[in-house]
Amino acid sequence: MAGLSNYRFWAYAGLAVLLLALPLVGDEFWLNRVAKYLCYGMLGAAVALTWGYAGVLNLGQGLFFGIGAYAMAMSLKLQSYTSLQQGSDTPVPDFMLWNAQPGAPTDLCCITPGSWIWLPFQWQWTGVIVAVILPAVLAGIMGRIIFGQRISGVFVSIITLALVLLVRLVVTDAQPLTNGFNGLTDLGWLTVFSHEFDPYAKGTYYLVAVALIAVLAAARILVATRAGTILQATRDSDTRALYLGYDVPAYQTFFFAVSAAIAGLAGMLYVIVSEFASPSFLELSFSITMVVWAAVGGRGSILGAAVGAILINMIEARVSETEALVEAWKAIIGILFVVTVIYLPKGLSGLAHDGMARLRARRPSFQLKEEAGQ
Amino acid sequence: MVDILFIGLSLSSILLLVALGLAVTYGAMGIINMAHGEMVMIGAYTAVMANIWLGLGLIAAIPLAFAVTALAGLAIERLVVRRLYGRLLDTLLATWGIAILLQQAIRLEFGLSFFGIHIAGLGSGLQNVPVPGALQGTVQILGHDFNAYRIFIVAMTLILAAATWAVMYRTALGMKVRAIIRNPQMAAACGIDVQRTNALTFALGSGLAGVAGVLMAGFKTVAPDMGATLVVDGFMVVVTGGVGSLLGTVAASGLLGEFNALVAMATNDILGRAAVFAVVIGVILLKPAGLFTFKGR
Amino acid sequence: MTAALTLDGLAVDFSGFRAVDGVSMAVEQGELRVLLGANGAGKTTLMDLISGKTRATEGKVLVQGRDVTGLREHRIARAGVGRKFQIPSVFSGLTVRQNLEVAQSKRPSVWSNLRFALGMSEKARLAEVLELIGLGAEAEREAGLLSHGQTQWLELGMLMIQDASVILLDEPTAGMTQGETAKTAEIINRLKGRHTLLVVEHDMAFVRDIAERITVLHLGRVLAEGSVAFIENHPEVKAAYLGKQGIA
Repeated sequence: MAGLSNYRFWAYAGLAVLLLALPLVGDEFWLNRVAKYLCYGMLGAAVALTWGYAGVLNLGQGLFFGIGAYAMAMSLKLQSYTSLQQGSDTPVPDFMLWNAQPGAPTDLCCITPGSWIWLPFQWQWTGVIVAVILPAVLAGIMGRIIFGQRISGVFVSIITLALVLLVRLVVTDAQPLTNGFNGLTDLGWLTVFSHEFDPYAKGTYYLVAVALIAVLAAARILVATRAGTILQATRDSDTRALYLGYDVPAYQTFFFAVSAAIAGLAGMLYVIVSEFASPSFLELSFSITMVVWAAVGGRGSILGAAVGAILINMIEARVSETEALVEAWKAIIGILFVVTVIYLPKGLSGLAHDGMARLRARRPSFQLKEEAGQ
Repeated sequence: MVDILFIGLSLSSILLLVALGLAVTYGAMGIINMAHGEMVMIGAYTAVMANIWLGLGLIAAIPLAFAVTALAGLAIERLVVRRLYGRLLDTLLATWGIAILLQQAIRLEFGLSFFGIHIAGLGSGLQNVPVPGALQGTVQILGHDFNAYRIFIVAMTLILAAATWAVMYRTALGMKVRAIIRNPQMAAACGIDVQRTNALTFALGSGLAGVAGVLMAGFKTVAPDMGATLVVDGFMVVVTGGVGSLLGTVAASGLLGEFNALVAMATNDILGRAAVFAVVIGVILLKPAGLFTFKGR
Repeated sequence: MTAALTLDGLAVDFSGFRAVDGVSMAVEQGELRVLLGANGAGKTTLMDLISGKTRATEGKVLVQGRDVTGLREHRIARAGVGRKFQIPSVFSGLTVRQNLEVAQSKRPSVWSNLRFALGMSEKARLAEVLELIGLGAEAEREAGLLSHGQTQWLELGMLMIQDASVILLDEPTAGMTQGETAKTAEIINRLKGRHTLLVVEHDMAFVRDIAERITVLHLGRVLAEGSVAFIENHPEVKAAYLGKQGIA
């Protein structure tokens, strides 16, 4: 057991060192792109946390990512001088002006119906806080209802899927509040202690990299606690856990909420790096794509799922440089996924685990041979 | 009001067209086939190709599309789904991979576009199929004008639903399928070839999707990604109606289609669709077994 | 002294069919009570009612004098009722040791389990139970890889370490070989005294090995209650359940 957790520790440490060393080898544009993939890495970890450890396949993880993204984007939109219509104490974003009724006051409180909801976001930390807290709270409520009803398996997937599609429709419909299909663009920069996080500066890359390392470490520690073991127990047999006295829905809900908070954080950081938020985050294909990353990397491993997400996206970026291969790449992803599900249900990390187990099983026999040789 | 109800009815019939095949594969076999929408898409492309290359009309393409998609379904079952029985979520994911693959196969003209070879009717562009003259225009019933093709679709949907019911409840295959739903081990012990029956059932479900595709080609633009949203709608219907209940599927499609039309009239199309999702979520939460199921073991 | 488990006029009505129809009984502290009855007599339903899987329509369940009627399953478990199902259920993806650790947790809330190590006394108790169920050598194996008998013993071990005051066992020897059955009897005999047990069992040789008192259910009602010898010679029991041969 000691050996096992040992190589696991080194795997985490190795990734951390690698991520922090990347700025030595790449330029700012490349780092900006990698930073986006690191956000996807968080999503992979979030999926693994619920799918691999709780056996709950959330097909609407994009909802939490989207909430995080929109919350941050609202705050950063209000930091962007180029997109604000000046002339009042509370300047309004450009798109609200285009969507407003003629004669409406140019004031954030009341230019379009419901625009007052933007008011707190004038303070950028509102966006940061809402991006993480709202997904967690929403997931807590969803979890209490869904798991409390003892709904499991495919039905959880269908509910989460229906919910993300529902929210996507509502967001695109609320054009005067959300800029509809166009999403929120032309955003300002996050400013902390008068340091501006320019998306194309190394500082921003480090912000994301450190956040990813922290998230992975925290999630890994969380599943190693007794609560994590109990969660895995509920995955294997929820009745057994129930009859041992555990409030199974509470455990499922707790980890569901943690996973949602991670996805929200990922969405928030993604906006800082990419400078836009769009309803495409709420599309079904995006949510399923996250599951693909986690499946290829290994649903049972936080680290594996994150690395899977980062690797797939890096390869995709490389392949997409050749225009003819863009569409072919999608077909490859399709095949890759089918093959993974059938032949490699534990993903790449499962492969690595088995490899390590085989190595360790061989080691004693080496020693025996040496002893025999002496 | 009659107009609205008719719009609802035609929305319902489309939902039911897609859901019928799913009711067979998911309801009967418990397989979540995310590539079901792509079976619809392939059915539609069969109509396009039959029109371009064979000069066949829409109606004549129906049996052809059934054959093509049933064979495609058979291949998917043999190659992938068979290896994943009992792993419901994994089937969902693997068939999603197949769905992407099929979309790209049409888009890339089975890879031939890399070699500069192009096939009329395929590729990423949009396609259309002409509707037979007899089904164009409107029909007047009781002083109201109705789109003739829509009426044709509603009628065809009802015929297909009846045919599906007949297959499931009046044929040897249907009896075997129902036996397998109840108890696969017992069915196998009674001499039913479970593997063969599952393969045939999957082919039947896919074939129904193919027919749906042909009918849709008559009023919708045909494109490689046309199936993606359909599969979600189909599942909503099957789950709302109650898994394993064909009658429930029919009733749920009627309910959701009309509800969609009514909310869409009161607000707009987007919120109409959103309301359908809300209803589905509510149904799963309050009645996870579906609206129209009878409790059994 | 209050009885460990008291049932008072317990009944459940499944839309007209009364699977359990007014059962009253008291199981004393540390007693091992065997439930006998033909198929459909209501044995498993009675266990469902006690453990909260099914809600009683009438009557009361008292555990150590505390009314637990109508509580949710995990609440009843916390009140001290442990249950083993007919089909063994353990956490197949966890190791044997982790299975026992999960069963051992005294404080069941999420927040109190956001910690790592077990206390010294907990570790000692875990090692003791591992020895008792004879799985010391398998401690680090995944529970999904155990044999049928080993899985049953692991589940018994989980009930032991859960420290439930009342343990419900539903056919603990189903599907076991003779050797395995003997070992199971040994484990169950060790549970006596420290725990109060209610056991559903068909294997009469096994029942004689473990039983002190027997309650016979018939069509949802208590038909007879007494010692093994008393039940074996009870004319109504013979007629209703055992046929003319008596206990084989």
